[in-house]
Amino acid sequence: MLAVDARDLRKTFTSGWWGRRRTEALRGASLQVPRGAIYGLLGPNGAGKTTLLSILATLLLPDSGSATILGHDIVREAMAIRRRLNMASGNASFVWSLRPAEVLTFYGGLYGLHGPVLRQRVERLIDQCELGPHRKTEYNALSTGLKQRLALAKALINEPEVLFLDEPTLGLDPDVSIRLRAQIATLRRERGTTIILTTHYMREADELCDRIAFIKSGQILAEGTPDELKRQIRIGDVVVLRLEPVVPAALADQPGVLQVHVRGEQVECAVDSSEKRLPELLRWLHEQGVLVRDCQVHEPELEDVFVEFAR
Amino acid sequence: MNSLAEALAREPLPREPWSAELVRTWAFAYRNIIMARRNVFFVFELTFWPGVAMLSHGLLTRFLHLDARMTAFILVGTVALSAVQICQLDVAYAVLFDIWSKSMKHQFLTPIGIRHLALGSWLVGVARGVVVFLLMAGIGSWSFGFDFIGGGPGPLALFLLGCFLTSLVIGLLVCSLVLLFGTRAETSAWAAVNFVVMLSGIYYPISVLPGWVQTVSAFVPLTYFLDAFRQGYGFEPHYSHAWLRGFVLTAFYVALAHWGLAAAITRSRRTGLLLKLSE
Repeated sequence: MLAVDARDLRKTFTSGWWGRRRTEALRGASLQVPRGAIYGLLGPNGAGKTTLLSILATLLLPDSGSATILGHDIVREAMAIRRRLNMASGNASFVWSLRPAEVLTFYGGLYGLHGPVLRQRVERLIDQCELGPHRKTEYNALSTGLKQRLALAKALINEPEVLFLDEPTLGLDPDVSIRLRAQIATLRRERGTTIILTTHYMREADELCDRIAFIKSGQILAEGTPDELKRQIRIGDVVVLRLEPVVPAALADQPGVLQVHVRGEQVECAVDSSEKRLPELLRWLHEQGVLVRDCQVHEPELEDVFVEFAR
Repeated sequence: MNSLAEALAREPLPREPWSAELVRTWAFAYRNIIMARRNVFFVFELTFWPGVAMLSHGLLTRFLHLDARMTAFILVGTVALSAVQICQLDVAYAVLFDIWSKSMKHQFLTPIGIRHLALGSWLVGVARGVVVFLLMAGIGSWSFGFDFIGGGPGPLALFLLGCFLTSLVIGLLVCSLVLLFGTRAETSAWAAVNFVVMLSGIYYPISVLPGWVQTVSAFVPLTYFLDAFRQGYGFEPHYSHAWLRGFVLTAFYVALAHWGLAAAITRSRRTGLLLKLSE
């Protein structure tokens, strides 16, 4: 069962006099997100991540293409879908004079919540997001971390089935980011919420996401689990060796060796598969009379995948 | 076959209780009330400017040695301007608060309609408008012996209702302009009302306006409300059935303004302005 099914979404923004400047933000983006998944959208600045998220959240109208959320069309049935989704962004902002509970009460009201249900939900979110000690503080006086936690609390006020998070940990201290990530993971585990997030932090995406889409220039270039994507770019594994007395010149010509970089005492060999090539390399080096002082294998990080696609 | 499978896969939307409609409307009133309670400038706009307007216009009538009838003519206009201005600001705040705090997208991410936004904020505007009226009535009565119920309580109630409905239309117009043109249109929140009252014969009969301007005035509901209310103070009416014409015209404009704001929101979703106003 798909929570989100987007097909060939396109969006062009116009600006300047008579709309002469045109920016193609999305050029046929398609994605399918299964129910209950945490789905990451990665890509460089200006790739179209926020545009895609905003279209799916019904904040923007697409020029063409179609998308459904929980089986309902995002344009024709937008009003009904809005009851079941919510969004938080890293640069969220609320009316300056409202206190945390008032922000939640206001938005809760807009979702039609009232009475004891609303009061209990506001209290629970204030507790969950550790906003209790700041109950009397007006929004403008909250720190960045607290504002972000309030943004997440606001995004949970209607207990959404689909939650969009746009750079949720942007500018947060590491300890706050870790707690926020834990909260996001708990949401999916305990409530089965489908979460679609954009982030610039590869570790965050690697840790949280079941599947990831790389988006660049308004197009989705690759999609899969973090491991599938690492394999997909075929940058292979890196075998780091410390050799004595010298690095044999023929090392780069060995089967499966893609690249060789000598960095000081170490030599980095990019190989297609460390499992297959490492025994062969060690055997060959032994035959050449080279002593292997140290040997480490590095698998590619999601960051390497990002760099490869963003290039 | 395919469409049948799709239809079966669609998850039904739970039916909402009717109370959700009232709650959404109340949410906008709730926010405006908190803001009015907590910000000094709201108290200022509620007391200072209306007070200054009533005193300065009252003193002007003294200086010009105007009789009770002419004093009433002027001060009715003063009350109308302040009541309309205060009330329309509250309606405009439904969007302006979000513009100023860059939180526009959160509001329009929720399942709200124009009716919730307009009615909730308008009700607070009406309450604040009544406070302004009472304050001005007190000052006018105490300082210049002006009787605001001189035209009768019924016409007074109709007059205030007319003023507040005019405010709703102006407020919705301001919201639409802001959603069409962004922060550049903010000043319209203050400018629009002055333009409308100028056309409606606020301190003068519309007969003194140039002919073509009088034609334009005939399209402003406040023109009829002022004309009808002033009849109670002995002035000859400019229009027949002024109350009826005023309210019919207002109903038309409320529907038009509602449609206009809905169209402006759709356009801002298309152009991306809705997101830009949140950055």
